[in-house]
Amino acid sequence: MMIQLSPQRGRGKIHGMLLIENPMNSELAFPILECFHIVGFAIAIGSIALVDFRLLGFGLRRQDPADLVKDTGLWVLISLSTAIFAGLLLYSTDPDKYYLNPIFVAKIVCLVLAIVFNYTLHRKAVRPGASSAQAKAVACISLLLWAGVVAGGMFIAFIAV
Amino acid sequence: MIPFAIWFQNTPLCAFLRDSPYAFPVILTLHVTFISLFGAMIFATDFRLLGWGLTKHRISDIVDQLRWPKRIGFVCVATCGVLVLGTKAEEYFLNPFFKLKVVLLGLALVHALVFRGLVYNRAAEMDALAEPPSRAKWAGGLSLLIWISIACAGRSIGYIYPPPGSHHFALLVAPGLH
Repeated sequence: MMIQLSPQRGRGKIHGMLLIENPMNSELAFPILECFHIVGFAIAIGSIALVDFRLLGFGLRRQDPADLVKDTGLWVLISLSTAIFAGLLLYSTDPDKYYLNPIFVAKIVCLVLAIVFNYTLHRKAVRPGASSAQAKAVACISLLLWAGVVAGGMFIAFIAV
Repeated sequence: MIPFAIWFQNTPLCAFLRDSPYAFPVILTLHVTFISLFGAMIFATDFRLLGWGLTKHRISDIVDQLRWPKRIGFVCVATCGVLVLGTKAEEYFLNPFFKLKVVLLGLALVHALVFRGLVYNRAAEMDALAEPPSRAKWAGGLSLLIWISIACAGRSIGYIYPPPGSHHFALLVAPGLH
């Protein structure tokens, strides 16, 4: 099967014999999706960072970290899902451009690690029994992983493949 | 404003940021990372004021403890933003979405000045109430609307090509046309 790479966004892609016009390739869809993507990840990552900074002793210090995780849990989930869903649609506009880009692959690796970390070790670190050093280490790793996701996202556009 | 923009983008720092292949994406990454941190603090405060989230926590706990972190966050976002602006100031000054973003930032300033005395300085008074008063809900709702609009306007700046005749157009786009 011959796969023809489309030269630019906005054209239909040839998959086998079918010309599939991706509805996401309209001129306005991409910028609008990007807005959802940005607002979604900003709220998700920033809310996780609020907990991380709390574990490091900054910000909402009068709050219990476990309560913060619980009380921001729903909006982190909703905003993260929005960011990922919008991200998938952005990806669908030109998959070749993304998966051939090593920065994109690094971003996705960071993202998967960050999400797994957030729902496993990060959860454990806010429990009352966890040591302070452990919690601080977890907070730093969490901040680094999410910063890596943001950096990866930004650098995709600047690395020519 | 355009002569100022041209002067600003030709300062050594801005010229360096524009010419270095890595400086611009690094500054942009910092801008967006700080937006996440700052944006979530705005979001958390607004949701608390609206009574939509963190309702088990006192209004004063959220508002008061995030006041300084929000200010620091804004300075970080704005510093990186000004540096990004400096790389192509002339182009940005002619960009309709940039103009919109500046107007919205002005609205954010008005919002802060109006609700400072009405809500943010008086957070502790609201702790005893069963539900946030309507002035707190207005503060939270409008803030959410303004800041999300600023983020969207900011992203949209990049979709407008520099107008023909501008310095940036002549520098980057026009040579490619021949």
